[in-house]
Amino acid sequence: MMDWDWSVIVEYKDLFIRGLLVTIELTVVAVAVGMVIGITSGFMRISRNKWFIPAKLYVDLFRGTPLFLQILFFHFAVLPTLAETFGLEAPDAMISSFVALSLNSGAYIAEIFRGGIQSVDQGQLEAARSLGMTYPQAMWHVVLPQAFKQMLPPLGNEFITLLKDSSLVTVIAVNDITYAAFVTAKNTFVRWAPYVTAGLMYLVLTTILSQMVSYLEKRFQTNRY
Amino acid sequence: MKKRLCIIILSIVAMLVAVTGCSSQKADNSIVNAGTNAEFPPFEKLEGNGEITGFDAELIQAIAKAENLQLDFQHYGWDSMLNGVARGRIDMGIAAITITDERKRMYDFTEPYFEAKQVILVPKTSPVQSLNDLKGKKIGVQSATTGEKVVQEAFGKTYPGLQRYDVVSSAIDDLKWNRLDAVVVDKAVNLEYIKRLGEEKYKIIEDPAIPEEYYGIIVKKGNRELLDKLNAGLKKIQENGTYDKIYNKYFWEN
Repeated sequence: MMDWDWSVIVEYKDLFIRGLLVTIELTVVAVAVGMVIGITSGFMRISRNKWFIPAKLYVDLFRGTPLFLQILFFHFAVLPTLAETFGLEAPDAMISSFVALSLNSGAYIAEIFRGGIQSVDQGQLEAARSLGMTYPQAMWHVVLPQAFKQMLPPLGNEFITLLKDSSLVTVIAVNDITYAAFVTAKNTFVRWAPYVTAGLMYLVLTTILSQMVSYLEKRFQTNRY
Repeated sequence: MKKRLCIIILSIVAMLVAVTGCSSQKADNSIVNAGTNAEFPPFEKLEGNGEITGFDAELIQAIAKAENLQLDFQHYGWDSMLNGVARGRIDMGIAAITITDERKRMYDFTEPYFEAKQVILVPKTSPVQSLNDLKGKKIGVQSATTGEKVVQEAFGKTYPGLQRYDVVSSAIDDLKWNRLDAVVVDKAVNLEYIKRLGEEKYKIIEDPAIPEEYYGIIVKKGNRELLDKLNAGLKKIQENGTYDKIYNKYFWEN
């Protein structure tokens, strides 16, 4: 039984429009905050300073547990308890989603960053240092430009994964694209139209995102023949 | 190399056989599959040992006993249960299901077995006195229930303050943390949750404008045979006092 009753999409269109905006908002914030967290902890991971060991713990914790669990954990346990301790109002589901998604993507970005830097031959840094550059100078002018090229494809992957995984926040009643489909399907008993609509919306977003990444990849490609 | 390939293929085949072996159990026609959503105390609740207890659970066992039905009673979750019955994967569903015209198009209902009403759960300090006072406020409901319908009818299908959860307990949690202003759910369920939240901190508002509703057991549309048996069983236990006994066990104190 394929129920293609598209009128239900019109009936619930406000939810889908709101869902589109919320999914974009979640992805943009989580990518931005995740980049900051990821770059910081990525650098901590390559440092030999023992004070930066917690960075490894952070990465292991957030890569080693499901995002779904992290969302539930932050929304129903961590954030309300923190708010209570400081006498504040418990932040709403949107904030919980930002926190969980940013911390999760931060952990993956940290690993992409570390991998990118370590993929650059050690000799490059040594050569730059022997020319009289300081460590930060050598990092900035010699290692990072080469590393960045290596990082772009996995970063693009991570952003696309994040965009799709943001759908998990439906469980804490955040009105994203999946929530719109789920509410429409449950209320109307029409299943095909809402889920296919949501799927198409995600496809459009991921296509735009991957186009942006491949543009950047081309831009930074140096070894063209 | 060839040997290893053989072993891999053999084990995949063995797994497939095991999986299909599991799914073909349904061929036994004498067993009636009953589904529920065991997250709606006091109607149904999943105990730590995996057993489903509650008013509906005891009622369906009593009906099955009265009609000599072999019952396989399982928790499926709300949506999977509704879907399963509609597609005939599950024979019947009992989960505080309100009889509505929309649902009647999809399922056949037994005679009503419970009269219910949607009520509003708010903190004691809340100024809310009726459904209309909730306008502009954040309201939590369980998705695809009559609680959701009541709010949708009052404020529109896509009202931004309406937050739908897959389970009631998540909505109750968010009410506890003041992320919601109210939760609209069945009276018996709210009475159960208010006990856990603390009766000194929360109150229940009954709005006369919200109509009464009735619960029924659903079967796949056209499954006359099972429907007749269930109705007959329900009648029997109502006449011999079993229904009252179960009812009093769960609701008398309220």
